[in-house]
Amino acid sequence: MTLFSLARKNIQRNLSNYFLYIASMVFSIVIYFTFVTLKYNEDISSVTGMSKQIKGLMSASSVVLLFFIIIFIAYSNSFFMKKRKKEVALYSLLGVRKQKIGLMLFFENLVIGLISLVLGIVIGFFMSKVLLTILVRLMGYEVVANLPFSSEAVLNTAGIFALLFLFTSLQGYRVIYQFKLIDLFHAEKQGEKIPRASFVAAILGTALIAFGYYTAAADIFTSSIWRLFTIIGTPLMVIGVTIAGTYLLFHSVSVFVLTALKKATSWSWKGLNLIGVSQLLYRIRANAKSLSIIAILSATTITAGGGVFGMYYNTEASVRQMLPNTFMWKGEPVEFSQENVLYNESLTAKSLRVDNEFAFFEYTLLKESDYNRLAKLQGKDRELQIADGSTILLDASYDERFSHDFTGEKFKLQNGDSFHVDEMYTDSVLNFIAAGTVLVVNDKEFAAANADDVKLQVVGMDNDLKQLNVSKEIYQQLSSDHQEGFSSVPQSYKDSIATVGSLLFVGSFLGLVFLASTGSIIYFKILTEAEEDQAKYAILNKIGVNSKQILKTVAGQVAVIFGAPLVVGIVHSSFALIAFSKLFNMNMTKPVILWMVAYSAIYGLYYIFTVRSFYKIVRQGAK
Amino acid sequence: MTSLLKVQNVGKMYGKGANTFTALSNITFQVDKGEFVGVMGPSGAGKSTLLNVLATIDTPTTGDIVIGDVNLARMKDAELADFRRDNLGFIFQDYNLLDSLTVRENIVLPLAIAKVPTKEINERVDRIAALFGIGDLLDKYPYQISGGQKQRTASSRALVTEPKLIFADEPTGALDSKSATDLLESLSDLNQSQASTIMMVTHDAFAASFCQRILFIQDGQLSKEIHRGTQTRKQFFQEILQVLSSIGGGVNDVI
Repeated sequence: MTLFSLARKNIQRNLSNYFLYIASMVFSIVIYFTFVTLKYNEDISSVTGMSKQIKGLMSASSVVLLFFIIIFIAYSNSFFMKKRKKEVALYSLLGVRKQKIGLMLFFENLVIGLISLVLGIVIGFFMSKVLLTILVRLMGYEVVANLPFSSEAVLNTAGIFALLFLFTSLQGYRVIYQFKLIDLFHAEKQGEKIPRASFVAAILGTALIAFGYYTAAADIFTSSIWRLFTIIGTPLMVIGVTIAGTYLLFHSVSVFVLTALKKATSWSWKGLNLIGVSQLLYRIRANAKSLSIIAILSATTITAGGGVFGMYYNTEASVRQMLPNTFMWKGEPVEFSQENVLYNESLTAKSLRVDNEFAFFEYTLLKESDYNRLAKLQGKDRELQIADGSTILLDASYDERFSHDFTGEKFKLQNGDSFHVDEMYTDSVLNFIAAGTVLVVNDKEFAAANADDVKLQVVGMDNDLKQLNVSKEIYQQLSSDHQEGFSSVPQSYKDSIATVGSLLFVGSFLGLVFLASTGSIIYFKILTEAEEDQAKYAILNKIGVNSKQILKTVAGQVAVIFGAPLVVGIVHSSFALIAFSKLFNMNMTKPVILWMVAYSAIYGLYYIFTVRSFYKIVRQGAK
Repeated sequence: MTSLLKVQNVGKMYGKGANTFTALSNITFQVDKGEFVGVMGPSGAGKSTLLNVLATIDTPTTGDIVIGDVNLARMKDAELADFRRDNLGFIFQDYNLLDSLTVRENIVLPLAIAKVPTKEINERVDRIAALFGIGDLLDKYPYQISGGQKQRTASSRALVTEPKLIFADEPTGALDSKSATDLLESLSDLNQSQASTIMMVTHDAFAASFCQRILFIQDGQLSKEIHRGTQTRKQFFQEILQVLSSIGGGVNDVI
C-alpha cells in the first residue's frame, strides 16, 4: 500500500471527522472568494459609479477578512490535529517513521486543501451572485448585474489559500516531530490547579471597564478627558482600556464570582450546581484569552453593524430634516411633468450674509405670510404671528453642542438691521441647501429690510423618493449657476443610500463572517473540552445522575461560555454606539436593537448546536 | 436474615447471530442484608460484567435482578439512574474522583444530587470522613493526595448516602499493600458496625479474605461458594488459595 493511498483511505474512512474541518475551510474560501469577486467586478463599479472610498473600503476589508481567516483556519487546524494525535501515536507505535507519518499528513492536508478550494470556489461563484443582488438592492439600484467568472478572483483566492494550506501542512509536520510517544500513555494532564482569584486584578478590571464606559458616555465637547486625549486619542484610549479591562474581567472577575458562587454552599450544594461551577472555574482562566477575543470581536461587529445600520435606517429621516420640499431652486420656474405634484410655488425671499470673526453665513429672510403658506402645504400645523422688530429663527442644522442659541437675543445683520429672536425651531420650511438658516419676519419688516431679493421655487411631490426623473428634468433646465443651488430629495436620498448601503453591505458581510468564525471557535473549543470531560460525565452517570440532569448542567455551562462574551460584547457596543449616536446626533435605538437581536439570534443557533454536540459526546462516554 | 439482593438466572450475551459470546449464563444467588460478599475468578471469567449488571450500569440479556423489592430488569434508563442515586454506592479501582472538586466536594456530590439540605450534608460528610480518617484532607484536591487517600475519598463518597448496597470493583487494585489493608479494614469495620451490605469484586486472595462469603465464577458461571464461618482471616486466606488453584488461573495473580 503506498503512502498516498493510505492517506486517501484515511480521508475516506474518517469522513465524518473530516467533515467539520473541510466545512470550515470551504466556508473561509467561499467568503474570501465572494468578497474578492465583488472587488474585481467591473459591472458594479461602472453601474453604480462606485466611489473611490468604497473601493478603498472593500480593499481594506479584504485585508481584515484575510487576517481573520488565517486565525480561523489556524484554529480549526489545531483542533483537527489534536483529534488525530491518537492515530499518529498508533502509527508511531507500530514503527512507522516520523518522516513517513509527516509525509502522509502533508499529503492528506494537500488533498483536503485541494478539495476545499474547488468546492469553495464553485460555491463562492454562486454565492457571489446572490450577494451581489443583495448589494445592489441595498444601494438602491434596480439593475440586475450579471456576474462573469472572474479569473482574477480565482487566481487571487487560489494563490492565497495555496499558501495557507502549505503553511498548515508544514504545521502538521511540526506537530509530528514534536510529538513524543510517551504522551499517548499519559492518561490526561494530572492535577491542573484550580485558579485563585486575584482581588487586585478583579478590581482593576472592573475599574478599567467603568472608566472606558464613563469616557465613552461623556459629552465629547465638554468632557475634560476628551480634551486631554484629543478627539483621535480618546477613542483609541477607550478601546485600549476596554480591551485590557475585558481580559481582566474574564481572567479574574470571573474567577472571583465563580469562587464566591462555589462557596455559597446553600446554592452550590444543590443538584449539579457544584459540577457546573467547578467545571467553569477549572476552565475559565485558560479560556480568558479566547473569551476576551470573542467579546471584543462581538463588540466590534455589533458596533460597526449597529452604527452602519443606524445610519442606513436614518438616511431618509436625515434627508427630510434638511430638505422639507421635494425640490427647491433659486431663479425662474421651469416646465416639468405635473404628475404627482402636490404644490409648486414661487416665492420671493431676501438673501442675507452675516459675517462674524470666524466665517460668513448665508441667511434667508422669509415673509411671515410665505411661511404660513408653506407650513400649511407641508402639513405643519404651526402658524406664526410675529411682532415688529422680532424674528423667528429656523435652523435645521442646529446642534446644541456647537450652535449658538439666539433665543431672546438680538440678531444683528450686516446691513445694520437687528431683530429680537423670539423663538427658534429646528425644522424649516425651506431646504437647507441654498436657503441655509431662515429668519422669518412679518411682512412689514420684510418689505423694509434692506437686502437683495431672491426668487425661490419650491415643489412638493407625492411619492417623492421615486421622482428621480423629474429631478433630472428640472436640473437640466437650470442655468449652471442655479444648478449649484438645486436641492432634490430623491437625488440626495439616492446619493446617501448608495454610500450607506454599500457600507451596510460590507459591514453586515464582515459581521456575518466574524460571527460565524467566533461561533465556530467557541464550538471547536467547547467540543475539545467535552472530549476531555467524557470520563467525568461517565462517573456522574455511574453515581446516579440521569441524562436529563446531565443535559441541564451541560446546557448551563455552555450557556455561560457563550453568554458571557456575548453580554460583554453587547454592553461594550452599547456604550460605543451611545458615543457614536451622540457624535452624529442620531436616534439609533430601534435599528441598533434590531441588529443586536439578529446577532444574538444567529449566535443562539450556534449555542443550540454546540449543546447538542457536547451532550452527544458526553453520552458516548457513558456507554 | 432477609435477602437484599436476589439474582435469578441472569445471563449476558454479546453480539448477534452466530457470533454471540456468552459472558454470563444462568447465575443465581442471594445476598443478605449486612453481608460482605466477595466475587472472585480468573481474568475474563465475567466478574466485572456481573458487577456492572448488578450495579445497573449494564443490562442483563436474561434473568431478573431484585434489589430490596424492586426488579431492575423492568426499569428504564432514567429510572435506573435515580435508583442508583438512591440505593447504590460504588467504589472503583481507578477511584473515579472528579479532579476539579476538592475531597469534600467529591463526597458532597451524591448528597447534593439527592438534594439533601446543606446542614445535614456537612454533618454527614464530617462523620464519614472521620470514619475513613481523611478529616484533615477535606479541602485538598485529588491531585494533592496519595492513591490510598483517593480510594478512601471514593469510599466515603460511595458510603455517605448510606446506600442499601455497596459495589466495589477491585478497590485495592491500584493500592500498595499498606493502603490496601487500611482500606479493607475500614470496609470490614463499616460492615460490622453499621451492617452495610458490601459486594466486592477482586482477584486478590488477600483482599478477598476480608469477606464473609466468596462466590467464584468461571467462564461466566458460578462454580463454587465458600463461607468464612468461624475461621480466622489467615485460615480463610489459605482456603481461598486452595480453591483458586483447583479452579486454575488466578493463582498467578496472587503470587
